[in-house]
Amino acid sequence: MATLYKTAKSEYQDVDDVLEEREKRSDVKQRILMVASRGVTYRQRHLMNDLEVLLPHCKKESKVEAKQDIDLLNELAEIQNCNNVFYFESRKHQDLYLWVARAPSGPSVKFHVQNIHTMDELKMTGNCLRGSRPVLSFDANFDSEPHLQLLKEIFTQTFGVPKGARKSKPFFDHVFTFSVVDGRIWFRNFQIVEKDAQTGGDMAKTAKPTLVEIGPRFVLNTIRIFEGSFGGPTLYENPKYISPNVVRAAVRSQKATKYASRVADTQDREARVKANPLPVDPLKDVFE
Amino acid sequence: MSDDEHSYDEAMMEDEETALEIAALQSENLLPQPKKEFINHKAALRALVDEISQKSLKWIQRCDVTSSEPIVVDKTENDLDRELKFYQQGLEAVVRAQLEVQKAGMPFSRPDDYFAEMVKTDAHMARIRQKLLDQQKGIQNSEEAKKQRELRKYGKKIEQEKLKEREDQKKASLDKIATIKKRLRSGDLGEVDDFEIDVDSDGDGGKAKGARGKKGRDGKPTANKKRQLKDEKFGFGGKKRGLRKNTADSTSDMSGFSQKRNKSANFSAVHKRGKTKRPGKAKRQRTN
Repeated sequence: MATLYKTAKSEYQDVDDVLEEREKRSDVKQRILMVASRGVTYRQRHLMNDLEVLLPHCKKESKVEAKQDIDLLNELAEIQNCNNVFYFESRKHQDLYLWVARAPSGPSVKFHVQNIHTMDELKMTGNCLRGSRPVLSFDANFDSEPHLQLLKEIFTQTFGVPKGARKSKPFFDHVFTFSVVDGRIWFRNFQIVEKDAQTGGDMAKTAKPTLVEIGPRFVLNTIRIFEGSFGGPTLYENPKYISPNVVRAAVRSQKATKYASRVADTQDREARVKANPLPVDPLKDVFE
Repeated sequence: MSDDEHSYDEAMMEDEETALEIAALQSENLLPQPKKEFINHKAALRALVDEISQKSLKWIQRCDVTSSEPIVVDKTENDLDRELKFYQQGLEAVVRAQLEVQKAGMPFSRPDDYFAEMVKTDAHMARIRQKLLDQQKGIQNSEEAKKQRELRKYGKKIEQEKLKEREDQKKASLDKIATIKKRLRSGDLGEVDDFEIDVDSDGDGGKAKGARGKKGRDGKPTANKKRQLKDEKFGFGGKKRGLRKNTADSTSDMSGFSQKRNKSANFSAVHKRGKTKRPGKAKRQRTN
């Protein structure tokens, strides 16, 4: 009987219903695996926690040691049923690198994370619902270059909270802004305030809402884009990127040159004096 | 936005320092020159964008907004300008997103009676509020202190003027007394004594000598002036404890001191010369 009923029903089903159902099925599943390497500093860890709070569709894993075998992360993602990976790699207890990868097929991007400010800092006064969906705001610069277009697509899929995601709320009360300045990507998170700041009442319909920053803040400097997930052929290399190690080494060597140049100078002088001896004065012994 | 004006954090400072270092180093060609060839497979990147693109999805599922104009920042180090650009970008995105959400027939802002866990806890928000209040208080206090400082400066002037006025008054009345005394002594007694002051009784040495041998009320001879003063000073009958010690009042008591007398030729001459001293022994023997 049941099957008969079902077939009958399906025949008379509305076209709209079918479309709606299809749309429902087309709801994208995005899940992010968030992993830190061993040796992250507290600030880096707090940044990760902030992102975890803001992105309800992410799954945090315990720290991994994947210095050699970075492929391990693909397996981890598969086990956790995630199709994106944020891997926070800390080097020398000071430099933070962020891998954003689409597991298991790629692409993946490696960033150097700079200028980190976490939500704990008291100067950012905004607040938003836990799990509400963000508006993703991109700078028009993102459309200028193919690699930026790719980054924009990746950010949309990772930082955007999918509609109907678990633990998410169906409202928009904050906006993530991604801007390209100085060849780097600057991330900001603002609360959308639709109340009048003075009265606390509703604003006029025509008035623009205001924004209050929530945090965190960070700047991503692209290092490379790979075709695969955590590997594969390189598609893009940032010509402007200078490794922090190189910077530090250069600073050190600059300091060292001060001494080296002084030593060289004295050696030069000695050699010069030796090469050009003073001519003997013929009148030197006249009065003796 | 106003927060951006406040002091940077350590991280920001460090990073800005490194940026400056890089600039300095590059100018001196100390950093290794970037290699000539950089990988940038534009075609492959474009293909990849098309491959992973979710452009077919409805807006409500992607929630991305690209700004109408690219961000141009003249100087990246200019915090205020840069953050303002980010703010404007975010605001534009929010306004456009509101329309899109409306179009999709979804709620944008959360209803007033919808309460849920927030990203920042109440305790954290309280701390932020406290910090803001403290800041405000600090500003108020400093302003108040500034005002007080000004007032004090003004008040000192007023006080000095008042003291001078009082001194002038005193001088004037003393002069008046002196003239009256003079008149009385010269025998011009025609006028009535306005002040009812026993002008004769105050400190005239000549009169005291004349009083020697006077009998007191009970028939006993009154002590001479010197005795009286000594009694006063060293005590004669009654409790002595503590009386012969200086007190703050007694030390600061300048009633017996007269500037006029002190400066007078007579007085200072006495002090300089002293009393006629007894000559030394040798001198005495010589004369005798």
